[in-house]
Amino acid sequence: MALALSPELPLGDWLHQLDDLAARSAGFFLRRPVVLDIEGLQISRPELKEFIDELSRRNVRVIGIEGARPSLLGADMPPAMSGGRATQDIEEPIAEAAAAAPDSGGSEPAPAGQPEPQPVRPVPSMIIDQPVRSGQSVIFPEGDITIIASVASGAEVVAGGSIHVYGALRGRAMAGSMGNASARIFCSKLEAELLAIDGLYKTAEDIEPHLRGRAVHLWLDGDAIKTETLN
Amino acid sequence: MNILGFFGKKASAPTARDRLQVLLAHERASVGDSDLVTRLREEILAVIAKHVKVDGEQVKVTMDRGDQVSTLEIDVEIPLKARVGAT
Amino acid sequence: MGKVVVVTSGKGGVGKTTSAAALGAALAQRKEKTVVVDFDVGLRNLDLVMGAERRVVYDLVNVIQGEAKLAQALIRDKRLETLYLLPASQTRDKDNLTAEGVERVIGALKKTFDWVICDSPAGIERGATLAMRHADVAVVVTNPEVSSVRDSDRIIGLIDAKTAKAERGERMDRHLLLTRYNPNRAERGDMLSVEDVLEILSIPLLGIVPESMDVLRASNIGMPVTLADSQSAPAQAYLQAARRLAGEDVPISIPGEKRSLLGKLFGWRAA
Repeated sequence: MALALSPELPLGDWLHQLDDLAARSAGFFLRRPVVLDIEGLQISRPELKEFIDELSRRNVRVIGIEGARPSLLGADMPPAMSGGRATQDIEEPIAEAAAAAPDSGGSEPAPAGQPEPQPVRPVPSMIIDQPVRSGQSVIFPEGDITIIASVASGAEVVAGGSIHVYGALRGRAMAGSMGNASARIFCSKLEAELLAIDGLYKTAEDIEPHLRGRAVHLWLDGDAIKTETLN
Repeated sequence: MNILGFFGKKASAPTARDRLQVLLAHERASVGDSDLVTRLREEILAVIAKHVKVDGEQVKVTMDRGDQVSTLEIDVEIPLKARVGAT
Repeated sequence: MGKVVVVTSGKGGVGKTTSAAALGAALAQRKEKTVVVDFDVGLRNLDLVMGAERRVVYDLVNVIQGEAKLAQALIRDKRLETLYLLPASQTRDKDNLTAEGVERVIGALKKTFDWVICDSPAGIERGATLAMRHADVAVVVTNPEVSSVRDSDRIIGLIDAKTAKAERGERMDRHLLLTRYNPNRAERGDMLSVEDVLEILSIPLLGIVPESMDVLRASNIGMPVTLADSQSAPAQAYLQAARRLAGEDVPISIPGEKRSLLGKLFGWRAA
């Protein structure tokens, strides 16, 4: 996931710290997908609801909640997740694995809740041939995003797979946003405000000065984002 | 910019100041739509409409707000068969 | 049918109203019937820049609310008989601008005018989105300065997504009008260059208007700069931009610039 937040009690103080952080890095949480980890947090349902509303008032978009007792969650709240993936999606890779091996005898029953096995499909990708402008978001959790133009300052690209920018990358790029450590980011001119792979991120200040303006390739090695110039 | 050109032209700031003074005097006097010229305009048009059925396209209203004198000009074309009420 | 042009920028104070008045006058000087419409309800200024502030009787909101006919609200310029102004309301709330009302007024103007120039308010709120909604062409006014460039980028994104054309799946023509350009500061590297701005925004260039006292002087006396002194550098820039807008192929130059700099300008794509 792009970012996991683990709030602590009392929530008021914690929100205060969040505001502090947000004030120091303007727009950091703005429209970023966030997972709330409330494992071990003593909190009632109305308190949780109020807390999520407080976050959304700060433009923090909670897309899932991790470590919550089922009784805490309701239909008006983000879904339960575990390990950064939506729990209801866990079946999917198994279903696809089964479909990818059609000759395995056919005796395996399709998993419950998957009435029709998905046919074999290449990894989906999205191609954008116009500039991504300030204030715009391109979100494609299913796979790679290729942009044959620039990504402006204040724009955002979120891909489940890798991100390729044949132009200047001036905004934010988050690859592997659905939990994919092998996702990579490529761009022909690095001027990004934020780079993230599988939830690990680098802000503009963390980017080595000699990489600025260069064609760069970024990948994840353990918990570190590695960089290398292209050409 | 050409220096001769600069001195050759009359300074424009006094003109700006005069225009703003006239404009703001009128705007401050008219809270809502209640300044004299606007009220006259509305009432004169209402009187005309009472006696003559006129199409909006046939009424031309012009105003010129000055610092000493404002003018209000209402130009109404009255067609022959436009009288209201009287038979 | 006339062409509807929105003059917009996102950021305030970059020269939208000056540019709308100057482009409108420049088109009217070509003997094409032009109306400039002020969409900045509550903060009207176009009447002042065009020198018609004493003559405003009715405004855009009166027409939309049915309190006046369109013909009554249009103010003809005293110097150019092909130039008209439709002022914004100073006293009304901007909520009085309805989407249907604006569509009706723009539709009616298109029938009688060759050019309908919509002067957008700053920001990305209702007034700005309504001003661009029914345009055929957008002129994005930008200063060579980071915040202006970013706001212009944002506005271009909205033009691509939130206009009637975009909803029909068409692409609106967008042109960059670079204003307050100071060649000396650009030379010293203290200002974003034309190339920088073009590279970041990647839309075609309509013109470069140099920073000049003539612009201030024109607004002081209430005349579009192309009328106040048509030989001045900014007036030449707007007259060139108007010709490009009308479809003429005019090479881009920075009026008032030394010849030697012209060499640098080759390779820019004209609008």
